[in-house]
Amino acid sequence: MAGGLSLYQEGASLLHRAHPLTKGVLMLSAIALAFIAPSLYWILGIALILLILVIVAGVLRRLIAVALALLLPITVLLLAVQGFANPANHTVLFAIGPVVYYTEGLYIAAIASLRITCLVVATFLFSFTTRPADITEALMQRGLSPAMGYVVQSALQIIPQTLDMAVRIQDAQRSRGLETGGSLPKRARAYIPLMLPLVLSSLVATQERAMALEVRGFGLPVKRTNRYEFADNAIQRITRWALALAVPAAIVARFVGWR
Amino acid sequence: MIEPAVVFEDVGYAYQEAPREAVSDINLRIGAGEWVGITGPTNAGKSTLCLLAMGLAPHFFGGTLRGKVTVLGTESRAIKVIERSTDVGLLFQNPFTQISGARERVDEEVAFGPECHGVAQAEVEERVEETMRLVGISALAARHPLDLSGGQLQRLALAGLLAMRPKVLLLDEPTSQLDPAGTAAIFEVLGGLHESGTTIVMVEHRLETLCELCPRIVAMVGGRVVADGTPQDVFGREVVQERVGLPVYTRLARSAALPAPWPVRLAESAKAFGAPIA
Repeated sequence: MAGGLSLYQEGASLLHRAHPLTKGVLMLSAIALAFIAPSLYWILGIALILLILVIVAGVLRRLIAVALALLLPITVLLLAVQGFANPANHTVLFAIGPVVYYTEGLYIAAIASLRITCLVVATFLFSFTTRPADITEALMQRGLSPAMGYVVQSALQIIPQTLDMAVRIQDAQRSRGLETGGSLPKRARAYIPLMLPLVLSSLVATQERAMALEVRGFGLPVKRTNRYEFADNAIQRITRWALALAVPAAIVARFVGWR
Repeated sequence: MIEPAVVFEDVGYAYQEAPREAVSDINLRIGAGEWVGITGPTNAGKSTLCLLAMGLAPHFFGGTLRGKVTVLGTESRAIKVIERSTDVGLLFQNPFTQISGARERVDEEVAFGPECHGVAQAEVEERVEETMRLVGISALAARHPLDLSGGQLQRLALAGLLAMRPKVLLLDEPTSQLDPAGTAAIFEVLGGLHESGTTIVMVEHRLETLCELCPRIVAMVGGRVVADGTPQDVFGREVVQERVGLPVYTRLARSAALPAPWPVRLAESAKAFGAPIA
């Protein structure tokens, strides 16, 4: 069977120990600020801060693997397209025969790829240091309804289960002679006998799980026990507020001439 | 007189839009602290009996309920399933659907029920540790529940139920996915719970197991109770022999043409064949 949809990596770093909401606010603010910031240097600054946090969290090696797979192709593509073909290009950086590369394109591509880098790094930094259950538990402790928390938590677990079930059904259908290859219409037709048992078994499992949740007292009108005690302190609270306020402040700054 | 824990009075139940009743004319009185085994062929109504005792039928399934099902003094119509969960626990046939699907570790999964009941954190930890040790899954504490095998998942489902400390346990084939050693271990746990006063109603197909463990057996066929009594009484009935079957020891004694009453347990069988177990 498949485990949950979690990228969490065990660790005891400052980031691992931080309150899930602090990390959540940090991730969202870093992404927002990277897209609001007007110049390459500001975005580079945000990227460097994120890189330091990645090193502190001890997830650099894993992040490099993700970055190579995800960011490298995007960056190369952006540098090529913008540098050679951006309509604003006019300052020649270098030329190889008839092929000319421009400074403006390079600058625009660098900004775009750095912004995407910040987005990817912040998201993975959060995912590598925060268990999905922790963020929903932290939100439930701040007033999110247990039902909504359950929906989020179980969705993260159930997606891999469903994919696993789909593979097993597909294997079973193939062993009985179902052809899943060939032309597009043929493949589309092959999905019908796959989808029907998948949908039906998912519905049955959902009904049974709903019963099991009632049997286990989920939704009982009592104060639920908080299994997770998240360390929080004044520094973290101030950091959260500062990061959250930095975003509207940056938007206002852009409107009044931050360049 | 033992206080009744589970009482079925003239109970008939039909699932929504079903052409006939799944169980009919059920009259059972299960005393507090009893360990009762329910057996019978497929579609005998054994699982429905558990669902009725838990209140899932008719609360969850709808349908039509005749008569009265009373558990720990409260009639099923008067109490929600979720409220009943504080005293009564039901283990489903399929352990995969018993787990919450929202927890990433085995120990957290075991804690799910007690946490929903608002049990104090220190006690939750104590219960989790105790039940995981009891059912033999302490070594799996940090594993993801969905990475477990069927047998391990069944142990986890039982641990999650036991951590809620129910007074009445309804078990629908609790060891169907376990190997012989695992089955023996779980039955030892259930034996301990029985000794400490927990009422156990257990659906089981393995007749030898039922005879060894349960002082009382209820045999069902076609939604009706056809025999209710000690293993000796129940398997002495012709209808049970024909429709449910016989424990292997009884079959052996019959085929060897030993005189009745035939043995239903290993020790009795050994004695009947002249080789008593010391």
